Amino acid sequence: MAGARRQTLWRRLQAWARPRTPEALPVAFDRKRVYVLPTRFGMFFALLIVAMGLGALNYNNNPALLLALLLAGAAMASLITAHLQLSGLVIEALSAEPVAAGEPLLLKLRAGARDGRRRLGLSVRHGDAVARLSLDGSDEAVLPVPTERRGWLDLDRIRISTLRPLGLATAWAWLWPEQALLVYPAPETQGPPLPTELGDSGAARLNPAGDDVHHLRNYRRGDPQRAVAWKPSARRDTLLVREYEQPRSAEVVLDWQRLAPLAYEPRIRRLAHWIDQAERENRRYQLRLPGQPALGPAQGAAHRHACLRALALLPHIDGA
Amino acid sequence: MALDVAGRRWALLAMAACLLPLLLQLPLQIALAIAALGVAISTLSWRRPLPGWLRFLLAGAVILLVLTMSRYSIGRDTGCALLAAMLAIKPSETTRLRDARSLVGFALFGPFATFLLDQGPLSLTLALIGVTFALLALQRFADTESGLPVTGVSPWRATLSVWRLIAIGLPLALAAFWLFPRVGSPLWGVPERSLARPGLSDEMSPGGWLDLMSDDSPALRVRFSGAEPQPSQMYWRGPVLWNFDGRTWTQPSWMRGLPPAEAPRAAAVWDYEMEIEPTDRRQLVALDLPTAAPDGTRLSGDYGLYAERPLSALTRWRVRSSPPAAFEPRLNVLLRQSALRLPEGYNPRTLALARQWRSDAGSDDAAIVQRALRWIRADFAYTLETPLPGRNAVDEFLFEQKAGYCEHFSSSFVVLMRAAGIPARVVTGYVGGYRNPIGNYWIVRRQDAHAWAEVWLQGRGWVRVDPTAAVAPERIYDTLDDRAAALVDLRPVWNTGDWLRRGWNDLVLGFDATRQERMLRSFGVARLKAGDLVAMFALLAVLALGWMAWLIAHSERERDPLLRAWRRLGSRYARYGLQREPHEPACDWAERVARQRPQNGEALLALTRRFAESRYAVADDRQQRRDLVRALKAHRP
Repeated sequence: MAGARRQTLWRRLQAWARPRTPEALPVAFDRKRVYVLPTRFGMFFALLIVAMGLGALNYNNNPALLLALLLAGAAMASLITAHLQLSGLVIEALSAEPVAAGEPLLLKLRAGARDGRRRLGLSVRHGDAVARLSLDGSDEAVLPVPTERRGWLDLDRIRISTLRPLGLATAWAWLWPEQALLVYPAPETQGPPLPTELGDSGAARLNPAGDDVHHLRNYRRGDPQRAVAWKPSARRDTLLVREYEQPRSAEVVLDWQRLAPLAYEPRIRRLAHWIDQAERENRRYQLRLPGQPALGPAQGAAHRHACLRALALLPHIDGA
Repeated sequence: MALDVAGRRWALLAMAACLLPLLLQLPLQIALAIAALGVAISTLSWRRPLPGWLRFLLAGAVILLVLTMSRYSIGRDTGCALLAAMLAIKPSETTRLRDARSLVGFALFGPFATFLLDQGPLSLTLALIGVTFALLALQRFADTESGLPVTGVSPWRATLSVWRLIAIGLPLALAAFWLFPRVGSPLWGVPERSLARPGLSDEMSPGGWLDLMSDDSPALRVRFSGAEPQPSQMYWRGPVLWNFDGRTWTQPSWMRGLPPAEAPRAAAVWDYEMEIEPTDRRQLVALDLPTAAPDGTRLSGDYGLYAERPLSALTRWRVRSSPPAAFEPRLNVLLRQSALRLPEGYNPRTLALARQWRSDAGSDDAAIVQRALRWIRADFAYTLETPLPGRNAVDEFLFEQKAGYCEHFSSSFVVLMRAAGIPARVVTGYVGGYRNPIGNYWIVRRQDAHAWAEVWLQGRGWVRVDPTAAVAPERIYDTLDDRAAALVDLRPVWNTGDWLRRGWNDLVLGFDATRQERMLRSFGVARLKAGDLVAMFALLAVLALGWMAWLIAHSERERDPLLRAWRRLGSRYARYGLQREPHEPACDWAERVARQRPQNGEALLALTRRFAESRYAVADDRQQRRDLVRALKAHRP
């Protein structure tokens, strides 16, 4: 009960905190949206200072009083410093490669600053994931975000905070990016092999070039490993790839309608599985979804993305 | 949250640094025991914490040990020793971040407790070092807690950032220090041992002053406004001793109740402010003789000056003195009897000699005084090396040793006078002083403690007679100049040191409710209620906070004036949406601006070219750089 009430209260407080709506990047933190509160240790420290000050006043001991006040002054300065660590910070970009539902989405955050202040010990938190944010541009903060459902993932608020310099106070600001991130459907794990039966267009066109190697070209990122011509590569010191006149395999048609016996979501997962399978086997494939023009036939990262995106964005049918 | 090894090391280091100044103030035995305990426990519990029952036992044993070693006197000393001991055994349970933080937090009481015992420069320095280490440890813990230790920060930079925090907090601390409402009297407890060092005592017995006379720390500092007396006339009058029991001179208690005696004054007047180091006694000293008692003091019958409370902290007094034309010209019978009383059956040879002199001189008291001084001048010597006397101390001094210091001379002289029927008393205090040319004030050190005599002569009243000066005037009026001349001349260093010390005394140690009021009065605030003070304090605190924020926000500004001027120029164009993008080269930007604002494009292009040349191409001379900076500052879009 108490927990639930606290959560409601928390949500209400959250609604108050800036920003109140999602926003587009880049976002610069101004002083209005940076919050500073003492930590527990900060309260303890304040208590210590009060005790010291009372003792010093009682004994009329001026150096002791000065010591207490100096510590108090340093503590105040640390509060302000903590605030200024965040204010003026700019979150420049945020990106993530789409992943299949169930796998963590790796959220990459890049930050800069509007001024030349030194900023140390900034951390980013989303849910339970914490990462360090550094501003030298050399590395990005990477936050794993758990995913459950295919489709657009709306990000929660991201908390950027610091305990620096003394751990007496924590300063934080919320980042609420409006950028939605795509989550692919989770593929079936133990799915059947690609359908052998060809599409209703009849027999597939055979590859005229057959197995013949047409020529060798330099390796490009994304080329399948088995296409690498290892022996010629070893002679030349660069990776070479065999390029065929046409991919050697037959095209395959992945048709939504043909999977009629399967339920809605399992069908999507089977198709996702087949898309990956086709990519792995280096075959051209075509995806046909109801009410949409057929995608492909084609092959490669862009095509895979287009197909998986289409699958991910199929409407959710609750209960199915 | 668990503590890593480096974090533990930091916690222990901070604790040690905070404990050190306190240990130096504790009695040696206790300090060594606590230090050994701290080291032992830190080593034993390095790998894993000690079990609970053992910690409990340890705490009990330590409390018992400290209480035994301090002989069961519960008070501030014991409290400080207990604090130190508790800190020393705290590492036995420091495994988590929380423990480490509380250890560092409590360790800050180390310097605090030190200040209750001592406020000297060494304690101050060590306390600052301790605080620095404590804050460094806290900074380190903050990094540990965020789970991602900050790398690439050198210890020196870390220290600097901690000092920066302290420096930025300083204005707020000072505002609070000078404006925070002070309590006039303690809320609880009275210090059982303050910072005082025994100064002049209110008694004098053989050998009792030797410690005092080898202590060269200041007893008081004096600043005259107006005329200054000659150093040889600076007799700082303290306790007046009337009673003699054959061995020890003491002050009569009834004298404090009497009103100050009648004493018409001579023309000379000295106004001065004294800053008296704590002594824990109520007796003050003043130049011969104070005209009136300053606020918070009373004058006794023999012009002793007594404060209402023991001088347990540094105090300041404004006094006016003027030498008497006649000091108590009519002596009443009771006082006369006290000033003639001698213990029965002591010093027979002295009594015989005095009787002899009296019959020689008839009724001429002054002749007897002169005869005694002549004798002392001719036959006696000054030395600090004297054996402890037997029963007839005065006889032994006058007829056998014939060498001694102020204690012997004054004591024997007064006994001789009393035996001859002349009322006499011993006066103790300080003589002379050393003038610090830096700051223009006088320093009287404990070492300048002195005892002399006053004899009562018909028609003149009490007259000061210094028998020691008859033998060794240089020993009495000698100043630091004479002593320093023998060695390497360290006077400037010493003078500056004492001047700084005086400033610290002035600004910090001697600041209390009275001075606070006086300080505010000088700003035109007449009479302050506590409420006004709090309001003023709050206002100043807010101002100081604002200033702190501004300081932190702006302290990272560009240091190179050329770059600064260049950036300012860029931000002036930002108002028209023409700011330079971070990736944009200077000349590209200037061309872009020139296209959009052709009216001052030429000037900007020229300026930019000069800037680029000065920064990237040729090393031009200072003058050219200054001209360029000026031109950059003058340019307006």
